[in-house]
Amino acid sequence: MKRLSLFIVIIALSFTFVYNQNLLSIAAGVAIFLFGMKNLEEGFRFFVGGLLDKFLKKITDSLYKSILFGTVITTLMQSSGLAAVIAISFISAGLISVAQGIGIILGGNIGTTTGAWLIAGLGLKISIATYALPMLVFGMLFIFQESKRLKGIGYALAGLGFSFLGIAYMKEGFDAFKATIDLTQYAADGYTGILLFAIIGAVMTIVMQSSHASLVLILTALSASQITYENAIALTIGANIGTTITAILGALGAGDEGKKLATAHFLINTLTGLILIGFVPHFIHFIDHTAPFFGIAEQDYTLKLALYHTYFNLFCVLLFAPLVHHLVSLLNYFFQPKITAENAIDDVLYISDVALDFPDTAQATLLKETKHLYNNVVDIIAQGLSVTKEDITSGMEIEDILKRRDQALHVNMDAYYERRIKEIYGKIITFAIVAQGKFSDVTTQQFIPIKNATIGIVEAFKAAKHMQKNMLRYLESDNEYIKNEYNHIRKTLIKHLRTIQMIFNTSEEDVAILLLSKLQLDAQNYDIAANKSLDNLIRTNKITYTMATSLMNDTSYAYTIASELSKVAHTLFVHATSESTEGREALILNEAEISDLTHASSPRSTS
Amino acid sequence: MSGLKFIQKMQELFGLSPESAESTKKKAVKELVKKLKLRHILLKQELKNETDLIKREALHDSIQIIKKQVKKGKEIVDD
Repeated sequence: MKRLSLFIVIIALSFTFVYNQNLLSIAAGVAIFLFGMKNLEEGFRFFVGGLLDKFLKKITDSLYKSILFGTVITTLMQSSGLAAVIAISFISAGLISVAQGIGIILGGNIGTTTGAWLIAGLGLKISIATYALPMLVFGMLFIFQESKRLKGIGYALAGLGFSFLGIAYMKEGFDAFKATIDLTQYAADGYTGILLFAIIGAVMTIVMQSSHASLVLILTALSASQITYENAIALTIGANIGTTITAILGALGAGDEGKKLATAHFLINTLTGLILIGFVPHFIHFIDHTAPFFGIAEQDYTLKLALYHTYFNLFCVLLFAPLVHHLVSLLNYFFQPKITAENAIDDVLYISDVALDFPDTAQATLLKETKHLYNNVVDIIAQGLSVTKEDITSGMEIEDILKRRDQALHVNMDAYYERRIKEIYGKIITFAIVAQGKFSDVTTQQFIPIKNATIGIVEAFKAAKHMQKNMLRYLESDNEYIKNEYNHIRKTLIKHLRTIQMIFNTSEEDVAILLLSKLQLDAQNYDIAANKSLDNLIRTNKITYTMATSLMNDTSYAYTIASELSKVAHTLFVHATSESTEGREALILNEAEISDLTHASSPRSTS
Repeated sequence: MSGLKFIQKMQELFGLSPESAESTKKKAVKELVKKLKLRHILLKQELKNETDLIKREALHDSIQIIKKQVKKGKEIVDD
């Protein structure tokens, strides 16, 4: 169906181009302009690796700062679409809230008005094609450079050059058009005309996926007197509604948070459009009164349209900025998170295509999803120890937990793996590999330890699975000695999981650093003590050879669980923030330093 | 204000000053050592009041770790 539509469009356009050369010029202008916009976006993406991410995180901590950020970024990039994509990507990764994302979108609406002023004020008044050609030459020169920054500048320059060239073609096309056909004969008056042209404006923008391209087209047509001023205003309203398609398409691959933002963008622009459609004649009157204050001549309809576009978007921001939190509540009501039933297949919560747009969002997503997997694995490891995850997170004394859970808990760990681990594990590894391939070497270094942590989590699960068989057998054994040893394994691992939980929950860096080192010390102490105890039990014939072999293996499995999960806690803590990663890493004691402490401390009892 | 100074001022304002990785690390370590020293005092106080043998042993371990971490941190900062 899609291919058929494309075929029909190609045939229709080809026929039109043969019939009318001026239309070809206009269409080629639009195509060159869109190509220029794509290049401009591409150019800015080269800078996104570090600068934009840091900027975004620092200055979007309040709604008004988010609006300011959206305004500045859209003004610089001349693309509200990219601002929307950035917002969706950062929201999906949980780096900013939906309210802050809406702020960026609102700011983007203001930023997009600068484009209209530039085109109406400069683009249509001077011969910008003269500037386009050197821009293209220098742009291409930079694109061939190895430095990423220079490449970015090259793409941005070439993008601007193509955009200027596109505008010149459109202008030329409309000017020539004027000599043959007068399009104003199709103008429609009154509210029917406003509605009709608003729909045309929306459709036009949906097809081109760029409100900038629509605005250029409207402004050039208006400057060539091919459309009436009133119809141009209606087309602008439509373009503002149609522009939400970029966010909607961007959110298709995103999670609920991204969808909330796209819905907000659609609601904000559509409601503003619907309200202002009713007031077009009043606004025309208002512009006639206020235009002289900005030095706009009475007959300069292109600048008057740019002024209308600014009023429209300012009205939109003034109307919705105070309502953002209510809007978020409404969206939360409609997009409620799905609760995964205990026996249902669990899937990824954060990984989505949009998270791969920027390195920071990819890393944040990877961290969050790894934590999700960790929670599932801890759930099953706890059950493998015949306790529950809630026991671990409770404040109950470990001795009391063991007394309460003195019966073996028979749980199918393989089935659990299939339901709640396998899918997420596979997707995390795939995501990490794709991200590693997509971003620069420096950024890739951040993905490797997180990917390894994920592998470590599954290793811990496997060790718990191997241990479960004997655990079930010996927790119900008549031999008190072996039962005590397995209870000791349970006690050690519960303590270990609790400490990791504390590391995840604490907001104090020094506590986390201390606990991470303590985890290692406890694991080493346990290993030494367990071996001593085992020697003692064998020497005194308290357990059989079979029991001894099982205990020896399971002590090793318990050590694997403890050390793998310690590494996971270490990675997730160190990489949780990009700012003090090295400082945090430096103060966590390594294995050799912990060994010094273990040797210095006195031997302890095993019970 | 010269152009360069203005750029530096803006970078500082947005926390984007191009510090070297080494100085950023030292700054973070210094900050953490300060926090760890305070934690050390708190744990020592706790140890004085603790009567439970196992808890005392755990506190003792923590104090030993902090001592080593502070020493390590000082070495990094002084380096």
